[in-house]
Amino acid sequence: MSIIRAIIIFQFINLCFASEISKSVYLNTGSKLAVLEFSGEGLSEPLRLFLTEEFRKTIRDLKVYRVQNKGISNQFSILNPNKKDYWSCLSEGCAIDLGKKLNVNYIIAGKIEQNGDDEFLINGRLFSVDLETMVNEFSINSSGASDSLLLDMKKMAYDVSGLPIPDNLSVESDTSQVAVSKKIIRKRIWPQLPPIPSKIKALMMSTALPGSGQIWAKRKFHGYTFMSIEAILGVSTLIAYYQYDIAWGGFQETYQSYQIETDPHNLLELRPQIIQYVSDTKKYNLFMKNVRNIGALIWVINMAHAYIVAPNDDFFDGDYYFDFEYKPDANKIQFNYRF
Amino acid sequence: MRIKYNSIIVFKKIVHKLFLCCLFLILSCDEANYVLNNPFDPENMDLEAPALFFHPAEINTQLNSSISVQLYGLKLNPSAAAQLDIRYDWGSVRVDSVTAGEFFQSQNSPIQIVENEQGVLDILIYLLPDIEMDQNDGGTWSLATIHLTAISTGNSELLYGKNTKLRDAKNDSAHIKSYGIGLINVE
Repeated sequence: MSIIRAIIIFQFINLCFASEISKSVYLNTGSKLAVLEFSGEGLSEPLRLFLTEEFRKTIRDLKVYRVQNKGISNQFSILNPNKKDYWSCLSEGCAIDLGKKLNVNYIIAGKIEQNGDDEFLINGRLFSVDLETMVNEFSINSSGASDSLLLDMKKMAYDVSGLPIPDNLSVESDTSQVAVSKKIIRKRIWPQLPPIPSKIKALMMSTALPGSGQIWAKRKFHGYTFMSIEAILGVSTLIAYYQYDIAWGGFQETYQSYQIETDPHNLLELRPQIIQYVSDTKKYNLFMKNVRNIGALIWVINMAHAYIVAPNDDFFDGDYYFDFEYKPDANKIQFNYRF
Repeated sequence: MRIKYNSIIVFKKIVHKLFLCCLFLILSCDEANYVLNNPFDPENMDLEAPALFFHPAEINTQLNSSISVQLYGLKLNPSAAAQLDIRYDWGSVRVDSVTAGEFFQSQNSPIQIVENEQGVLDILIYLLPDIEMDQNDGGTWSLATIHLTAISTGNSELLYGKNTKLRDAKNDSAHIKSYGIGLINVE
């Protein structure tokens, strides 16, 4: 009887541990969500950005997902600098790849299309990055005034979160619309710089400041190494230049005295001083030239390195200005450029 | 396409400015360009040290004007006394006085004896010893200065005679390898 009792207790303990293990696995799945900016056809950019942000904010308020904030756009600029091409990320492979780069569990991509004068079609897809599949696709046809778009976006946020849509949503829409108009006017003040491909941006940064392109491309070790080397060379050059300047000043002063001096005793003392100053200026000048050559070489290597290590723009549809291409049939590396 | 064009413009501008900066750095360091051709520099006088020469080696002056010429030693050995046998054209210039130079100067002023006889000026200079030194350290210094007056036009030479000699504190002779020549042009 005691043996049976012991077996039952043992099985019960096992069952308890088993349930805890399965629970921890479930928790590891995570609920981090990134909302990509909705693309818009026939829709102004400020309105599109505002709708996306409101959508993002509504999901965050519902607290079903841990939504990445707007600041994640900074990472987009590295991973995907051409923001206008987000809509192309509606495909599963693209969205999941981007989700992995952003280190989230879920990612939402969508677009808003204007079908008529007052008719909009909102499409969205929810992808699970962990499961590498699309888990939900939603579509809302919004007709009537454009302020209903905001309402529909909020409804969609409830839909995505798996919660019932509350009846009071229509009350908030008017107030939100006033805020939209103000934001649009304010945002139009800022000048928009043309987007630059990541590789070119890294190249330009490293051209201006060695290592900065690598640091920007998250290759901090290489970046700081290049920066340090150039800094050391720069400081060495400065010290050498300081010494050179002293020697050069001494040379000019002594040589001027030599040219106007008439006393043989003084002239005989000035002569070796001049020769010494000249020797020093030549020595420091040669050192500076060598450092300059080495520095220039490292600078060029740093520029090429920044260009190579910078992330590829998966969504940039333009040609690069130059690149290296391996041709297996000819078994050689070809340098292509397009200026 | 517009994006690419703008990017290239920005890129080219940066490269252009960097190139200018680099060019500035290249041009900023001058190489010393010099010629040590001062005529009063003993190294330019074709003298082999130790030597005696006149400074200045060439004097252009007017009639009846006063001139000075230094009797200069180049890299002389330590000495305690000197006999300077100077030959001059006594029809062209007149010797007014002789003063001792820094070469035999110690804490005491040197003793000098001057004999002037029809173109031959014999100068005897002795270093007067003190408690620290009985001879000088040698080197390139003025031994004496002769003050002259031009009395007739024309060219005349100043020469060191064969009796010129230097002695150290032990009365040993200091060898002089070469002698310079002086030239006076009176107009």
